Amino acid sequence: MEAFLLFLAIIVLLLIGVPIAVALGVSSILFLLILSDSSLASIAQTMFSAFDGHYTLLAIPFFILASSFMSTGGVAARIIRFSIACVGHFRGGLAIAGVFACMLFAALSGSSPATVVAIGTIVIAAMQKVGYTKEFAAGVICNAGTLGILIPPSIVMVVYAAAVDVSVGRMFLAGVIPGLMAGFMLMLGIYAWARYKNMAPQPFAGFGEIVASGLDALWGLLLIVIILGGIYGGVFTPTEAAAVAAVYAFLIANFVYRDMGPLKTKTLDDSERRAAAAALARDEEAENLGRPLFAEYIEASGKRLLVGLVQTVIHFLPSLVHPDTRKTLADAGKLTITLLFIIANALILKHVLTDEQIPQAIASAMLEAGFGPVMFLVIVNLILLIGGQFMEPSGLIVIVAPLVFPIAIDLGIDPIHLGIIMVVNMEIGMITPPVGLNLFVTSGVAGMPMMSVVKAALPFLAILFVFLIIVTYVPWISTVIPNSVMGPEIVTR
Amino acid sequence: MNYEPQTALGRAVDAIEETAIALMLGLMTLITFANVVARYVFNSNILWQLEATVFLFAWLVLFGVSYSVKITAHLGVDVIINMLAPPARRYLGLLSVAVCLAFSLLMLKGGWDYWWQFADKASFLEVNDIPMPGFLNFLADITNDGEPYEKIPRYIPYFILPVGMALLTFRFLQAGWRIFNGQTDRVIASHEAEDAVEEVAAKREGALEASNTKNAQKEGR
Repeated sequence: MEAFLLFLAIIVLLLIGVPIAVALGVSSILFLLILSDSSLASIAQTMFSAFDGHYTLLAIPFFILASSFMSTGGVAARIIRFSIACVGHFRGGLAIAGVFACMLFAALSGSSPATVVAIGTIVIAAMQKVGYTKEFAAGVICNAGTLGILIPPSIVMVVYAAAVDVSVGRMFLAGVIPGLMAGFMLMLGIYAWARYKNMAPQPFAGFGEIVASGLDALWGLLLIVIILGGIYGGVFTPTEAAAVAAVYAFLIANFVYRDMGPLKTKTLDDSERRAAAAALARDEEAENLGRPLFAEYIEASGKRLLVGLVQTVIHFLPSLVHPDTRKTLADAGKLTITLLFIIANALILKHVLTDEQIPQAIASAMLEAGFGPVMFLVIVNLILLIGGQFMEPSGLIVIVAPLVFPIAIDLGIDPIHLGIIMVVNMEIGMITPPVGLNLFVTSGVAGMPMMSVVKAALPFLAILFVFLIIVTYVPWISTVIPNSVMGPEIVTR
Repeated sequence: MNYEPQTALGRAVDAIEETAIALMLGLMTLITFANVVARYVFNSNILWQLEATVFLFAWLVLFGVSYSVKITAHLGVDVIINMLAPPARRYLGLLSVAVCLAFSLLMLKGGWDYWWQFADKASFLEVNDIPMPGFLNFLADITNDGEPYEKIPRYIPYFILPVGMALLTFRFLQAGWRIFNGQTDRVIASHEAEDAVEEVAAKREGALEASNTKNAQKEGR
């Protein structure tokens, strides 16, 4: 009964426009003060322990920072060029390349809206140029962008791991197969549609273009190797990997791609030209701009490397205090603050739930009523799908995870599998109204009304829905890689 | 989430807050990175790295929450308030601020109580790893009967709890005043991505202009 009142209070406060963090915090504080003998000082201590007791959460600011440095524009354009070179020649090629680019960018950044902004800005316009409808383009990118939270690294996964104390490394590994699968299913859907509409395939650009564009995008793509290789090679902890990724992304953005920082103005025309070339790669204009051949690339890069190194040394210290750096740091800081304030308060709520043994009570009630794991997962899916329509993914995860996690363990569900189910649910929540974050971003990026984006996203939403059902009832997809790499999950309670 | 400071003082405060946030995040990243370098290149370890990072993290967030209220960056659910008429919105806005104030005052009391234990009776308690910098030695005379601290005393990192919550209370009061005056109607931002979208829109306009001038040039040629 008290638990019901607690959640009712949170929901009512949320609906009248109280910030998520405050709604969670104030309800939990009142609950603790009235129903237990906790002091305000101990609640303050719980809040502080969100930072000094949960090392996992430290990865979040670093991943946000790395993603901010990588989102400065040039990386996305290079990834798109590479994607078009790889898969652009299929029927529906540019749309498939858009999905592929979203998958690659998702592996650099941990956020879905960031993926839509970075890839969507370029690809939606490019798709329209070669004859796709704006609706189709928006629908593809809106859906493919949700892969940002499923393909590791993912901020939502870090939040889940911290909320229920599972390994971040395991969660990241678990996202690999589902992420590739979801991307592949979207591509297949596009291909089928393109065959049905009989879209003409584009000419194959040749392996030279694949290599050249691949080399150009290499510096960005190496980030994936650093993060995943670093964690699983035992070189870094996930938190350290995130910090190294942030420093690496800073160096690349400032000194290699020069999208920001002290060297930016000197090569602005060049990077603009490249961005344009990538965006219009299938456009006739691209032919006039010309593409560097592989041999030329190697020869030129030797010279460039030397000049670049000298410039890096000269401009390194100024770049640290450059206004661009300060702005990126402050923006990433703001995002970190709002997110972590929600999480810190959700940890107070978790404290209440643990103290009052609420999840355990619900679990035993469910078992008595004869509900098995399957029914439970259906209920979790429903809660998350409905909740996901009203709330940001990380906020919802920190509220729901501590509640359903102990129940899931009682019912014998793998914690990692549960995490992947939650993330996939969040993906769908991001493209369903009214608070579909990706819908909102896509409507901004494509410059079309929200409702048309909703309609445009529907056919692909159906694909993700089928994917959710598969992921929910085939745990193998999520657990096979983490279990074979890191050994079977040991559940300690 | 668009905040434009109006006065010279407002601009100065804004610059200080934003720089502090950038600085704390930057330091956290550099210290953590430095420890990785120390481990693999110099085969050693910065002992105080983890603790310092963690305290900077707490300072970043607890200091930053008040700033986020100022720029209306805290996330919330705006489905219901968007459906209401402006007067009803204003009342709900004031009600939300009242709830927020209740929260920040309770946390201020809790933060103060918690910090005071370490500042008063337990002022001899030190953190685990961070060594005491020389310029803080004067604290030993005030809180430790002149006996020097080896590591920084615990009341230093915890000090952000009462400070942060006091600042938060102040910003909520300001937000309440703005809603009361009708300058705004809510304490929450609708979406974290709003800024990004605005930036994209601005960029697109810029690109349009650029392509227009390009076309004009072509036609001229």
